[in-house]
Amino acid sequence: MQFELNEDQALLQSSTRELLDNEAALEQTRSVMEESSEGYPKDIYAQLAELGYAGLLLSEEDGGLGPIAFAIVMSEMGRVAFPGPFLELSLAIRLLSGCSGEVAQDWQARAAEGSALVVLARDEDLASTDPAAPQAHFADGRVQGSKVFVPFGAEADALVVSTAEGLALVPRPGTGWNAAPLTTFDHAQRFVAVELDDEAHLLAEPETSATLLTEALRLGALGASAQMMGIMERSLEIAVAYTSEREAFGVPIGSFQALQHRCADMLIQAESARSATFRAAWAEESGAEDAAYLVSVAKAWAGPAGRFVCGQAIQLLGGVGFTWEYDPHIYLKRIKTLEQFHGSTTWHVENALVNAPVLADA
Amino acid sequence: MDLQFSAEQLEFQQEVRDWIARELPRPFADEVRDPAHDADSLVEVRRGWQRKLNDAGYLGMRWATEWGGRGATEVEEAILHAELNRADAPIVPNFLGISLLGPALIHHGSEEQRRRFIPKMLSADEIWCQGFSEPSSGSDLASLRTRAEPDGDDFRITGQKVWTTFGPWADWIFVLARTDPDDRHGGISFFLVPIDQEGVEMRPLKQITGESEFGEVFFDGALARREHLVGQLGEGWRIAMTVLGYERGASTLANPADYERQLGGLVSALKERGELEHAAVREKLGKLVVDNEVMRANGLRTLANIAAGIAPGPESSIEKIFWSEYHQRMTDAAVELLGPQGMLEARSPNARTEVDWAYQYLWSRAGTIYSGSSEIQRNIIAKRVLRMPTAR
Repeated sequence: MQFELNEDQALLQSSTRELLDNEAALEQTRSVMEESSEGYPKDIYAQLAELGYAGLLLSEEDGGLGPIAFAIVMSEMGRVAFPGPFLELSLAIRLLSGCSGEVAQDWQARAAEGSALVVLARDEDLASTDPAAPQAHFADGRVQGSKVFVPFGAEADALVVSTAEGLALVPRPGTGWNAAPLTTFDHAQRFVAVELDDEAHLLAEPETSATLLTEALRLGALGASAQMMGIMERSLEIAVAYTSEREAFGVPIGSFQALQHRCADMLIQAESARSATFRAAWAEESGAEDAAYLVSVAKAWAGPAGRFVCGQAIQLLGGVGFTWEYDPHIYLKRIKTLEQFHGSTTWHVENALVNAPVLADA
Repeated sequence: MDLQFSAEQLEFQQEVRDWIARELPRPFADEVRDPAHDADSLVEVRRGWQRKLNDAGYLGMRWATEWGGRGATEVEEAILHAELNRADAPIVPNFLGISLLGPALIHHGSEEQRRRFIPKMLSADEIWCQGFSEPSSGSDLASLRTRAEPDGDDFRITGQKVWTTFGPWADWIFVLARTDPDDRHGGISFFLVPIDQEGVEMRPLKQITGESEFGEVFFDGALARREHLVGQLGEGWRIAMTVLGYERGASTLANPADYERQLGGLVSALKERGELEHAAVREKLGKLVVDNEVMRANGLRTLANIAAGIAPGPESSIEKIFWSEYHQRMTDAAVELLGPQGMLEARSPNARTEVDWAYQYLWSRAGTIYSGSSEIQRNIIAKRVLRMPTAR
């Protein structure tokens, strides 16, 4: 048995942290939130693709590193609330790798090397990201339908779209996407609703597509859990640093037991998320039978835990915690975003229950 | 990263599972429900079970064979404890002697002490209780005031100990007593004291469960022989702190196994009542499943780190808070879901038989108090893990 990262994994973690601290520290996220017309830092995405990060979920022969490495990178991205559709890009590349045919291969290669942005367009219901049968249709070389909450869809070079006939690839039409912004409170994640009536290529039959989408949901949930784990870790660091400095009544407020116990509770939530997320990543990597169960356990834990930790970070900073200038709100917003996507907490709780050993025996 | 058991460990798990299936007559909950039993005869059930475990070599597993152990690893010990809980096996009456005193004697005791005490501790011919806490010294244990004064070559002990688990049935007590009033930590020594003597009075204390599983002990010049001092004079605090950290692996998988069994009981009760498909029920049950599985993830992580020889981190305080507060949440939810029937005591007509919910509900209140209260555990996390500032 071994839990802690091995040498290669630790190196991946430290080099990713260094890279992101240098290139994508929180100011990047702020600039996306506040001004960037591009919506996400394309230069950094190009750099990440060049270093092989975009294809992390590919098979080993295609340059992938597996779910544990993916979780490590996702966690580091969480620490800086990394802007842009990195998770969705990784999932789209993985989906394309599961489809046969030249179109899939071509777009997979372009997305992995950073020359094209491809994201998954799956959700159709404004009120749910839980798995559902797609209403969009593929017929006669065209996709017709509506997709919502497509991350950075306005800038995508192609969309991988779930349809009743299977996964389809829709290249950006010459006239651009028929997209309308869906502006959430996380301004560093830009979503659009897309009306599709465009030329498309069918990538896989319904059965294969369903399998691939189930797998993408699991990996998406794992990636979201891992990001939340990094967000919790960073939020707690911020809270502990602030309460150790800030003085009231002549002492650092972090010496008050009420605040210490709050921070201890935050640590319990955050460390438990780490245990559950890496256990799920390990299960995915080793092909364990209970991987789907353990991923749902991790995500069902990380969402509420993350809300608690990020909410308390704001509380512990007091008034400044409620200002735009200080950082905790960026994490609160991101963690809520992550909780809402790749299956809601409610869905993952139910999915954990369905797959639980105690129910199998009943 | 590797969170699965090795082939040998899986083999050991199967061996233990088979052994329990063969040797355990019935779950302990069934013993408790049996009207033929009283508190004393239940202790005898536990004593008998301890003897079986001892004969099979499942006690003090990590100790050297010389001392009745088998030189097993922490992982194997954790597997054993998880399997015992899965089957609702009785808790052995000497669990405190074996987990605390045994390691103290092996690491700090004399050869004579080991030969005199360990075999009878393992065979349950002598039952031990722990004399650490006092009425005014719980969380602040080092403030203890029970004193041991020289009397010729020996010592006389005067003072009071409390929350003495298994005290009402114990033959011996291991006691932390003050031998130097001016040295807070260095003035504490570790003594082995027979209970059946003048100068020792054991009084059972009735708990909120109605039973008297613990007691209080009054020492009035009780005799502690020089040869029953463990380690040197003034080493008691260090020995106690060392042994308290010794068993950190055993519980890692045992608690989630115990609670999973209880959850299984809840599931079958709800199924029988036709309520398993209700959305509100499923949400509650699902959250309990998730939290228990997260607890197991924490446990696997701790165990893996122990196996890799990584120094203990924040895990043990996190684990303690997690399981004790979880058990309260879980029994709260279970009793609520089962309605008034969930409050029926084990021997009441119509009580549910899968789990003694009434007892578990009450017993869960103890976990956040004993072995370092949740408040003390949070202090430890804030100070030692988060390094938050100390109050001036």
